Parts: sequence; C-alpha cells; structure tokens
Amino acid sequence: MMDSLMPLMVIIPIASALFLNLLHDKDRTIKILAIVTALVLPIIPLLTGYGSHYFGGYAPLSQNSVIAQGLPAIITSTQLFVFHPGIVYVFGSAQKVMIFVLGIVAFFAIFTALNETKKPSGVYTYLMFMGTAAATAILLSDDIFNFYVFFEIAALAQIGIVIASNVKNNYETALKYIILGNIAGPLLLLGIALLLGVTGNVNITDIIYSIKNGYVNPQNPVLLMALALITFGWLYGSGLPPFHTIKSALYSKALPHGAALIQAITVFIMVALGVMILRIFSYLSFSKMAIIAVSLLALVLSITMAIVQTDFKRTLGYLAVGELGYIGIGLGLGTTLGITAGLFQAINEAIITAFLFIGFGTVLYKTRISDTRKLGGMMFENPRVALLVLLAGLAMAGVPPLNAFQSKLMLIQASVQAGVPELGIIMILLSIVTFMTFMRAFYIIYMRPKPAELEIHDYKIPKATIISLVAFLIICLTLGLFPQIATSNLQTLASSLV
Amino acid sequence: MIISAQLFSFFTAGSLVIIGIFAALFLDNLIKKIIGLAFIGDGANLFIITMGYKPGGIVYIFLPNMTISNFAQNASYPLPFALVLTSIVIGASTLAVMLGLVIVLNKRHDSLSASKILGDESD
Repeated sequence: MMDSLMPLMVIIPIASALFLNLLHDKDRTIKILAIVTALVLPIIPLLTGYGSHYFGGYAPLSQNSVIAQGLPAIITSTQLFVFHPGIVYVFGSAQKVMIFVLGIVAFFAIFTALNETKKPSGVYTYLMFMGTAAATAILLSDDIFNFYVFFEIAALAQIGIVIASNVKNNYETALKYIILGNIAGPLLLLGIALLLGVTGNVNITDIIYSIKNGYVNPQNPVLLMALALITFGWLYGSGLPPFHTIKSALYSKALPHGAALIQAITVFIMVALGVMILRIFSYLSFSKMAIIAVSLLALVLSITMAIVQTDFKRTLGYLAVGELGYIGIGLGLGTTLGITAGLFQAINEAIITAFLFIGFGTVLYKTRISDTRKLGGMMFENPRVALLVLLAGLAMAGVPPLNAFQSKLMLIQASVQAGVPELGIIMILLSIVTFMTFMRAFYIIYMRPKPAELEIHDYKIPKATIISLVAFLIICLTLGLFPQIATSNLQTLASSLV
Repeated sequence: MIISAQLFSFFTAGSLVIIGIFAALFLDNLIKKIIGLAFIGDGANLFIITMGYKPGGIVYIFLPNMTISNFAQNASYPLPFALVLTSIVIGASTLAVMLGLVIVLNKRHDSLSASKILGDESD
C-alpha cells in the first residue's frame, strides 16, 4: 500500500530547513515557522498508514502487470522480475514509534533553542531540521545507498550544529569528527559497493532475497568483507568504540539543545544500521557476537570515562554513549525479547538523554560554566529544575517507575532467557555505576555549597525550557507505567529479525 | 586485455584507499590529510565504477532500433554510475566543510599542523 504522507516525513523538514536558511534578520518569522514545522514532525508519523512507498512509482515488475506484459523471459524468469528498481521507503509500527519520538525530541530541542537564544538563527534551525530529516530517512529507507547518502547528511548536520555552537574548541572537535567521518564514510560505501557487486542490488529486501534464495553464496568472503566495512561505518555513526571519545566530545561542544538532538539522531542511526546489519547478515552467528562485544566495550569504556570527567557536558556525553551499549546488547542477543528491549531502550535513551542535556543546560544558561570544579549550590537557584534534572538522572539509571527501568529489566530478562545471565549481571552493575556517576555530578553541581567565586547570572530560565523538561518527564513516566505503548509496536520488527 | 584493464582499475582503487588512509592517519599537515581523505573517497568511487563496467557492453540507453532482448543482454548496469554521481556530490560537500574548517583553524592557530591544532584541544 502506498501512502503519500510517507515521504512528507522527510520532505517537510528538508523544505522548511532550506526555507529557514534564507530568513536572515527575520527573527519572528523564523521562530513561528520553525515551531509550527517542528510541531508537525511528530504528528505526521501518527497519521501515516503502514506500507511501502516506491519513489517515482517504480514498483517491482511482479506488482505491475501492465509493464510486465510482453517482457522477454530473460527478465520475467529471473530475479529481476521481483527486484525493486527504485528507492523504497518502508513504514511499519516500529518506524512509527521511532520517528514519533525523534520528532518529539526535535520539537523540544528546537523549541528550547529558539527561546534560549535572544536572536533565533535560521542557519542553526536549518541544521537541526536537516539532521532530523536525515535520521528519519535512514529509519524509513529500504535502500542501502540511500541510507549512506542520509548517513553523510546526518554527519554534516551534526558537525554544523557543533560549529554553530560557539563553544570553546568546537571547530577543532568538528574537524576531528569530520576527518574520522571521511574515513568511515567511504569504507561504508565500499561495503555497500561489495554488496552491490555480489548481489547486483542496493535494495535491502532484494539483497536478502538473493542471499536466502541461493542466487548468492552466503559464505562468499566478499560478503564477510562487506559486513566488516559496514560495521565500521556503524561504529562511527553510533559513536561506539573506537569512536566513543570523539562522539562524547561532539556532544560536549554543542549547545545543550543541539546535543539533545544530536544524541537522538545518533541513537536512531545506530538502531537503523544495527537492524540493517541484522537483516542482511543475521545468518552469520558471529555478526551478533560482534555487536554484543562492541556494545559491552562501549558500556564499560564510556561509563568508566564518565566517572573521571570534570566537565558535566562531557560526563553526560560519555553516559549517553555508554547507554548505546544497552541497545547494542539487545540487538546482539538476537531474540524477539532482546531486540524489542534494545529498540525500547533506544526510544527511552533518546528521550532521557535529551531530558538530561536540556536540564543540565539550565546550569550553563545561568553560569556559562560547565566545569564541575567551579560549580555548586545550584539547587537554591531553581529547586524545581533541580528536581526535574534529578528525575532525569534517575530515569537514565533505570529507577522505577521511569521508562529505562522497564527497558533495562527487559534486557536483563532477555539475557537470562538467551542463556547469558552474565550479561544481565554486567548490565545491573553498570547501571549502578551510572547512577553513582550521575549522583556525584548532581551533588557537585546542585547540592554542595556554592563556591564564592561562582557568578550566577540573573537570567530567568525560559518557560520553554521548563515546559520541555516537564514534557520529557511526562513521557518518561508514561512509558515507565505503560511500556506496552511502545513495546507492542516494536515487537513486529523484532520478531521479523529473528 | 579487457579483464586486466578492469583488474588494474580495481588495483588502482585499492591503492587510492590505502594511500588515503595512510595520509589521513600519519601525515601531520591538515591539507595533506584532507587530500588523503579525498583519495579514500575517490578510491571507493573508482571501485564502484569498475564494478559497473561490462566488457563489450553497450550504453544503457534504449535506442529505437534496439530489441528488448538485445538491450537486456548487452547494456551495462547503470546503477553503479548513478551511485557514483551522488557519491561525488557528497564527497565535494564534506571536502568543502573540511577546507572551511581548516581555513578558520589556520587563522586561529597560524599553523596547518594537525598535532598543534587538534592536540591543543583542552577538553
């Protein structure tokens, strides 16, 4: 079934991004247009019907009886007859939930950004919309090359958000990230090229069809090479080791609302690429093992690094990267419960980390300082915001009744069910360490006495920021109390991957 | 002879990627690093173009005097060429951003040394 609303999920943010970029010195117009468009982002997936969208109307020949008539046997009797000749978007219940959550995070990030800055920047909102559009396209696309194109656009948008932040050393971090991206990107492209060479196709469904129906030898070493190269691209896009340091630096060099959006884009790129790897290569048992190994490494390294940081943005950056490890473990377990838990954790992480970045961003807003050694006493400045930040931290650590508790519990159950309870124990221990790391940062910033030299500005925290934080808390509580809202939608995708 | 030309092309693509990775990782001058990065992208593009090459193939444009069978059997595969065109555009965009960043950083640090500019970063 074709639904014309499906491409609008990508077209609307791109079109508004391009338009906003042209609006210099028209602050009010930028603000109104950006907020209205951002509000549309989470609404479209709710209105769109499930199914596939064939760009240009190029459905497979087997579905088009008019064109299929009179074609020679060289086409009708081969796999060409069922192949997808154009770019295809696939929209199911899992995509619906993920694009909805991405839209929610994008809306509140843009809403906060426009209200925290005195002069709204058309270029900054352009970058935020482009990043959102790219991540949405990656979630929808069933075409591995289209995937690569939007992967690169997402990387450029993330770099742009960092460049526009005006934070110290942001250019250096952006250059480092783009240099690494220019190694990882072409290697991902080479992986795609190898898949194209072996299967003759870039459509993921067709690649799987070729492998499963014996048109391609599944043990062909070229396929293994393709897996290695695509996995390398996945590690870069997700910020998993060895890219965890640069990814956390990228978060810390962005403004809090920018970091909130960048991490959501990263989470969904990780999920989309991870799911793609599972779809194509799940017949290779070591592909799942590799995903678990890298995810475990990300968890241990990032959370360990988070403990020793003295910049709270960097601490958050490492915690955000560490949380990706839980998602990877869920996907790597390869069971329906494990994958559902991994996908649920991805949704929770996108919300909670945005909650934390925007929450801690209020400290930066009031003090312009992110060095924890110079901070303290912020609780007395605004106790309501402090409480909201505390709840965000508890959500990340997996404290009930908040949402990450449900996904982490599901992950532990899945690891026990899959016969690897050790993973469950490690996840519990690392959740405790996450909790301690967060509480340490919270104590230093909010609860210890205010240092004499700390200057707190009189700026009132914008209402938009408080509204965003309350909205995130409501979502965390809703998903914590009623996890089936998300899991029932994610289960279909999870069971199709097993 | 044709096969060897294709093999040579694959070899060149592989060499470009390896030289590019070496330059990106081990050269200190940022401009040389960026040239190396461009080599990696070019190598990937050449690899895809070479894959789309069909010995004795015809251009994938269906002309009026052709039969469908003849076209289906002899036309080279158009997909790799279409992909490379997009890939070149992406490569040009990232190259422009990288060079823009280097221009700003060169003005700020008065140097093109990666170890000086990127090593200075205090996190």
